Amino acid sequence: MLQRPLPRAALLLGLAAFLTPLAAKAQEREVVSKQVSVSRSEATLDLEFSDDTALEISLRDGLVMIDGDNVGSYQPGGELDAAWRELLGRAVSLEDGPLSEALADWRAPADLAGSLAEVAQRIDQTLETSLHDMEVQVDASDGAVSISIGNQSSLLGALLGSAERIGLLPDALADLGPDVRLHLDEDVDIGEDEVVSGSLVVIDGDVVVEGEVRGSVVVIGGSIDMPEGSQIDGAVRLADARVVRNDGTVRGGVVQVESRPSAPVRPTPPARPDVQRLRDEIREEVRQEARNAARQRDDRGSGLMTPFRAVGRAAGGLVENAFTILILGLIGAAAVVFAGEKVDVIAETARRSPGRAAMVGLAGTFLLLPAWVLGFVALVVSIIGIPVALAWLPLFPLAAALAGIVGYLAVARNTGEWLADSHYPWTGWIRKSNPLITMIGGLVGLMALFVLANVLTVVPFVGFVRGLVLAAGSVLTFVVIQIGFGSVLLTRAGRRREYWSTYDADEAWAAAMNADAGPGDEEARAPETGGEESADA
Amino acid sequence: MRKTMMVALLGAVSAPPLHAQSMRTVTMSRQIEDRNEVQVDVEYGVGRFSVRPVGEGLLYRMNLSYDEDRFEPVAEYSSHRLDVGVRSLRRTHLGGSRQSGELQLELGRGVPMDLDLEFGAVHAEIDLGGLTLTDLDLSTGASESVIEISEPNPEVIESASFEVGAADFTLHDLGNLNAQRIEVDAGVGSLKLWLDGDWRRDSRLTIDMGLGALELHVPEGLGIQLRKDSFFTALDSEGLVKRGDNYESLDWNDAEHQVTIDLDAAFGSVKVIWIR
Repeated sequence: MLQRPLPRAALLLGLAAFLTPLAAKAQEREVVSKQVSVSRSEATLDLEFSDDTALEISLRDGLVMIDGDNVGSYQPGGELDAAWRELLGRAVSLEDGPLSEALADWRAPADLAGSLAEVAQRIDQTLETSLHDMEVQVDASDGAVSISIGNQSSLLGALLGSAERIGLLPDALADLGPDVRLHLDEDVDIGEDEVVSGSLVVIDGDVVVEGEVRGSVVVIGGSIDMPEGSQIDGAVRLADARVVRNDGTVRGGVVQVESRPSAPVRPTPPARPDVQRLRDEIREEVRQEARNAARQRDDRGSGLMTPFRAVGRAAGGLVENAFTILILGLIGAAAVVFAGEKVDVIAETARRSPGRAAMVGLAGTFLLLPAWVLGFVALVVSIIGIPVALAWLPLFPLAAALAGIVGYLAVARNTGEWLADSHYPWTGWIRKSNPLITMIGGLVGLMALFVLANVLTVVPFVGFVRGLVLAAGSVLTFVVIQIGFGSVLLTRAGRRREYWSTYDADEAWAAAMNADAGPGDEEARAPETGGEESADA
Repeated sequence: MRKTMMVALLGAVSAPPLHAQSMRTVTMSRQIEDRNEVQVDVEYGVGRFSVRPVGEGLLYRMNLSYDEDRFEPVAEYSSHRLDVGVRSLRRTHLGGSRQSGELQLELGRGVPMDLDLEFGAVHAEIDLGGLTLTDLDLSTGASESVIEISEPNPEVIESASFEVGAADFTLHDLGNLNAQRIEVDAGVGSLKLWLDGDWRRDSRLTIDMGLGALELHVPEGLGIQLRKDSFFTALDSEGLVKRGDNYESLDWNDAEHQVTIDLDAAFGSVKVIWIR
């Protein structure tokens, strides 16, 4: 395959016929990336070559696209569509060399007619030209032909796509003789002292002749510049080309080669290589922008993993809730063991007067920062107070946090007692006889909204509800902390009873004896009803 | 399975487009450019997912079947970075689920790879044996995954991580990974770790498990030391002896290779099973 002639490289063989016997050798270009994409409405082949060029041929929704350009139409499910899909089916399992060979060997169905045949031929030619690295070697037994190819792929693609130019070739290349220099897709400069012994053919390139050409100069798809002192012994033949300057000597005259009437007309001539390159660049930029936008969209969390990350987040959140309860329970256990009576006093205050405790707690919260700063300033002003001030800085916030936590735990104990009395089926495990269990039960109750919010994480379309639950949980926690903190302040960390609730048999007896007494005896009844008793009174 | 997929692809591309389906099949491949390290990111959401090595010459080959109304394929290669998989076209993809897709990915042997696998609700069969891995990060959501390292990794991985959401997750031949540190972060589910394979160095295995059952399959001769920091977690430590706060295999001090396991589990069970 590497050394086979190009049966379908119509242009070069055509040129060869006009010029001289030559042998064109070709090898497959290296395909570094392949993509075959097939759906009911589309069959697309994307190739990327080692020289960073790419080829995309797509039959999509009735349109045939080559590198993004519409080159014709086809009947979905028709013969061309089936043949193309059959080719892609083989391409799926092939790589590199065998892939190139299979694609280059593809033949359009023979029985296609009209515009469909032209489109199929266009696909065929595009595959052929794109998949071959052209290496033209000359076997000129009776003359010399040198062929130089610049950008082979873009040139041949453009040239083969231009039937109009092919139609110009017979006239443009007629009677050039055996000694021909052919330049494809590159600019040519014949220097002042340079002499071209034969003819010069430049296709898709600009030529500057400052020296001498002893044959003719043929320019197809470019321009010619002949400054003063240049000499061309033959003619200058222009096909789809122009003269920049004609100050030299042209013995055969300048001839414009017109297309023959019988030349076939392609529906959509391809763009010039430079325009095509520009299109490719713009297309690539647009693609890159789209990719960037897609990446940014994914970064915002719309990736495929979103629902499944939610499961992990929910599980993590629930575990976090469990650990929070565990840690607070441990602190509560320590508080019950080491300061159980004080916790009782704080809890009793929170239970009896939650509103008052909350207000005190709120005020205390607002006063924390000023108290901290003023306390520090007050300590610093005296020399003896400076060491204390150094301890004040970390210990005051620590004490405040501890007060909040202990207060929260005290409220949790009250909540646990309430849940134990509530006879809900899921609160049976809470035993009031065990203050620690009661406290943990209360913590579970207080954190129930957070648990619910974590559970709702995995439920789709309830984000708003989850937000509400989370907000309610936060508000509840804030209120509970304020009540607890206020209770700690009111009871001076549980050292001063705000309320009397301990049963006293003597007082109960006295109260019972004075049950019918007048209003002046209200004070005696207070212990029985658990009424408020000021510690300062 | 690859043959099945290939047949399906061939059938899809050969059949005239007369079906009322929106499934698209894509096959992509790329030749190896050079032997420099490649960052490979794979993302796949729903369906069947497989990864296996492919012979010399190819950097990757991907056979993909997906719903083109919901997803788009990703295959981008630039500056030794390869992104493959599918990407959602919508912000949400719950409801309206139709035929699930399939991704078969083959990765080239002999190319050093920093591999990042991320997949969601999939049935995954992954064989990383034969690949040259310099780094490995695997993240999965609610999946049934079997990961195997059937051949030793010629490169040393400093740290390999497996992040598992709610999954039935099995990891075979962990020793072949040739990793200095292995981190497994599991949310909820069943976790089976087979510590067989060819251990070439001492290693540290960190397991962080929320709720679930963990099975540690340990080959005889491999020294393991289990450091357990758990809450409500039952431990079946058959074949381990407790020394201080740790559980150790009987031959811990004499073992050719030692694996230290740091276990942080909240709720569940841990079972050590010896491979005899």
